[in-house]
Amino acid sequence: MIHTIAFYIFAAMVIASGALVITARNPVHSVLWLILAFFNAAGLMVLVGAEFIAMLLVIVYVGAVAVLFLFVVMMLEIDFAEMRAGFVKYFPLGVLLALILVSEMILGIGAYSAGSMHLGTADGVGTPLMGESNIRSIGALLYGRYLFLFESAGLVLLVAMVGAIVLTHRERGTVRGHQNINKQVRRRPGDATVNTRPEVGKGIEL
Amino acid sequence: MELKQSLGLIAPEILLSIASLVLLLVSAWAGDKASRAISVVACFVLGACFFIVAPTVCAGVAGPDVVAFNGLFTADAFSGFAKLLIFAATGAALVMAPKFFERTNSMMPEFPVLILLAALGMCLMVSATDLMTLYIGLELNSLASYVLAAFLRNDERSAEAGIKYFVLGALASGILLFGMSLTYGFTGSTDFGTVRAALTGDMSTGAMFAVVFVLAGLAFKISAVPFHMWTPDVYEGSPTPVTAFFATAPKVAAVSLLMRVSLDAFGMQADAWRQIVLFVALASIVVGALGAIGQSNIKRLMAFSSINNVGFILIGLVTGTVQGASAMLVYLAIYIAMTAGSFLAIIMMKDEAGAPVEKISDIAGLSRTKPALALCLAMMMFSLAGIPPLFGFWGKFVVFQAAVEANLVALAAIGIAASVIGAFYYLKIVKVMYFDEPADVVKGQSDWAHWALLIISTAFISPLGYLLTTWLGGIADKAAATLFLVAA
Amino acid sequence: MTAFFESLGMNYEWAWFVATICGILLIALPLMLAVAMIIYVDRKIWAAMALRRGPNVVGPFGLLQSFADGLKVFLQETIIPSAANKGLFLIAPIITFTVALMAWAVMPFAEGAVLADINVGLLYILAISSLGVYGVVISGWASNSKYPFFSALRAAAQMISYEVSIGFILICVILWAGTNNLSDIVMAQKGAGLGIVNGFFFNILLFPMWVLFLISGMAETARAPFDLTEAESELVAGYQTEYSSMAFALFWLGEYANVLLMCALNTTLFFGGWLPPLDIGILYVVPGFIWWLLKTFFFFFVFSWVKATVPRFRYDQLMRLGWKIFLPMSLLFVVLVSGYLMLTRYG
Repeated sequence: MIHTIAFYIFAAMVIASGALVITARNPVHSVLWLILAFFNAAGLMVLVGAEFIAMLLVIVYVGAVAVLFLFVVMMLEIDFAEMRAGFVKYFPLGVLLALILVSEMILGIGAYSAGSMHLGTADGVGTPLMGESNIRSIGALLYGRYLFLFESAGLVLLVAMVGAIVLTHRERGTVRGHQNINKQVRRRPGDATVNTRPEVGKGIEL
Repeated sequence: MELKQSLGLIAPEILLSIASLVLLLVSAWAGDKASRAISVVACFVLGACFFIVAPTVCAGVAGPDVVAFNGLFTADAFSGFAKLLIFAATGAALVMAPKFFERTNSMMPEFPVLILLAALGMCLMVSATDLMTLYIGLELNSLASYVLAAFLRNDERSAEAGIKYFVLGALASGILLFGMSLTYGFTGSTDFGTVRAALTGDMSTGAMFAVVFVLAGLAFKISAVPFHMWTPDVYEGSPTPVTAFFATAPKVAAVSLLMRVSLDAFGMQADAWRQIVLFVALASIVVGALGAIGQSNIKRLMAFSSINNVGFILIGLVTGTVQGASAMLVYLAIYIAMTAGSFLAIIMMKDEAGAPVEKISDIAGLSRTKPALALCLAMMMFSLAGIPPLFGFWGKFVVFQAAVEANLVALAAIGIAASVIGAFYYLKIVKVMYFDEPADVVKGQSDWAHWALLIISTAFISPLGYLLTTWLGGIADKAAATLFLVAA
Repeated sequence: MTAFFESLGMNYEWAWFVATICGILLIALPLMLAVAMIIYVDRKIWAAMALRRGPNVVGPFGLLQSFADGLKVFLQETIIPSAANKGLFLIAPIITFTVALMAWAVMPFAEGAVLADINVGLLYILAISSLGVYGVVISGWASNSKYPFFSALRAAAQMISYEVSIGFILICVILWAGTNNLSDIVMAQKGAGLGIVNGFFFNILLFPMWVLFLISGMAETARAPFDLTEAESELVAGYQTEYSSMAFALFWLGEYANVLLMCALNTTLFFGGWLPPLDIGILYVVPGFIWWLLKTFFFFFVFSWVKATVPRFRYDQLMRLGWKIFLPMSLLFVVLVSGYLMLTRYG
């Protein structure tokens, strides 16, 4: 029963915060609702027994992506009046699209439940290992059967990173406050100070 | 043991990735001044990969022995043939680049690294026997290409090309991915062989959608009509060596990928996709030929030329026979020589200050100021037009021959008629160079490496190329046969 | 505990529910007490290092100082700046405080004494600690004031930067222990060093990781010398500038709960958790909880010690350290550790 209650709480929260993401007046609020939606979605994942995916969802999306997103939204100057005007202008089109999508979903699910759609049977490659935690199952697939694709996907990310740096990085010469830590550490009192005994009436030479 | 065997089969890919990682580190520490040295090393790496792959192509290897990683990847002769073309085209782009970028001080050591990674992506594409490998290879190549298109980041047109390519490319990836997920939904697998087995017999409407979306996504990559709209803008805006790269290597990769997907994964449903490919082929030929006529920028003209040529290549796919596939491979080999040669000639056309000349009106009377360059470019144009003594004719000939033998006489007839229209704009360039008053703009000197490459490619497409027909045809036949062997 | 409530005649679900609530209270209430006392200890340690006496008026040896402070802020009026975003302004300290408590759910205090013995324990800790940044960022933005906002930006950048290397350090520990479950990680440390020392720190490959973890932990909890989010010489009090009363106290409590958590993690991941320092029979006579407490307290002393003695980093130095030194180092050690394990254990 607790399971059921938890499911309804999480599911209701996901839907409610999802709705609030698009209706909130302030974009920062929207991002925060989005984060709440992610968090509750992670809760749903835990309920279906995918705790690894749930944790990754929180770590990656809530912990990293959304922070940067929030960062950007906070810094932006957004003209709300203009946004509102655009909203009114495109509202009918949006409603139309939403209706089309909803009817497509109804048709698709209807056709499937009426048995007129013949989906393929899964080839069983991704079946979880029996009696193992889902981290082990995912690990066995990622680092076993799909090792090659996993490494290639790493290269895709590398290319994305190199690309972003190539297109945006600009050398700015030496930045103010640039320090050479090696040099600082190597410096000894003898290099910086001298003991002198100047004669009376004469200054010291620096 | 299984893993060791698989690793042996992907030796060229491993070499490419390790080389690009090492060169990336070198570029991080050595900085811009190492660009040229890194380009040279990258060329040698591509050469080494070429010689690793070449024996497998000559031997015509195929079958389960060359399938690596539980059916994710195959190193058969077909993929090998495509890889050889890719390595050659990529190497040509690397040779063209340094001189071009150095004039504006915009050569960065990441350029050869990105080119190598793009080549790696293409290797994955042509070797893919699983939808996931296909997608990762495609994305690896695409991401590198987006960056390359915008490589002259201070140049507005280059940035625009990068953005356009990125936005439309992402859309195409989305379409492809949607098709792939439908394919998985209706077949229960991402493996080409299993998909083929599951799609035997009557196909449901849903599965039909899957085929259409996958083909549409791939048609974008080869810039076939109606997914060609990005091509002229991207080709015009990108730096010329990058344009040359886009027009050659990714075309080979995407066409080979399309061949494997349609003949292998969707091979049992050839009747379903034949109509689509037929339409795409004819539309590409016509749009490519008509669109090129009004162009005043030679890079835009080459963009339409590539659309036009893709149409001819796809005629081979419509046949769905071994001969058709072999004809496509031969056409591709000749096509990359012609296109790379044309772009080399375009890069070598520079004004007094060394800035690139791209307007067609500026090359008027080139035959009097730069006779050798004009001769090479003219031969390229004749060859692209498919005029008989030149090698370009042979490519079109084998494709049409395959079409006729597959009882597609009407298609062949339309194709030949359209190639006559296409000849018009190629000949226009020749006319401008030889019979117009000299505009006296092209004055710059060119690098010896450019000359050497231009002479090699010109020799290849000259009538001398016919000496290679038996050899080229033999290898292409072997390679094409392996594609059907896997499918069977 | 569930079994105990079941024996009282409840059905399983209710028993589980009540047992969990009791468990939460059993952790949260002593934790609050511990935080109050640890603040006192902290002040005493700084005072000792600065040759001062520290709190010494309220109660014997000033022991009740924190409670007096707590009572004081509790009775104060909560001032909300008129330009602030009221709702978020009040939610921010609650987030900080709640998140600081949530992570304790998977912490094993002694053998079997853990509220949620889940097999993604370490990932849970990583996930929850990554939420901590929201309290700071939201408070900085909602205050609608420039110093808090600068502080929020710094906090976001700082925490994300150090989370990356913490993630890699944790991967080394997970690889060596072969599990994500914190209790199992503790048990994996039994006799890990030469068969006699309980703890991963006694290991040439993991010791450097422990050093990195200790330092990253200070940066992650924004403790001195990395307290750039509240650097009083630059940002007044950073994100807390506009806060007063209970809202301020919640930040205070949450911050110390986080520091304690980092100390407890040092104990659990590298120093054998509830196990005695040496794998000798006689030492097991002392209850595990005492060992855990002693070790955690030791780490808190280290945190205080550092705070009292090391000058604050400059912001660019902090970023440099995180991205250019810790990240490559921890990445290198992931490779070394996994390579070594492949050679020896799984080869």
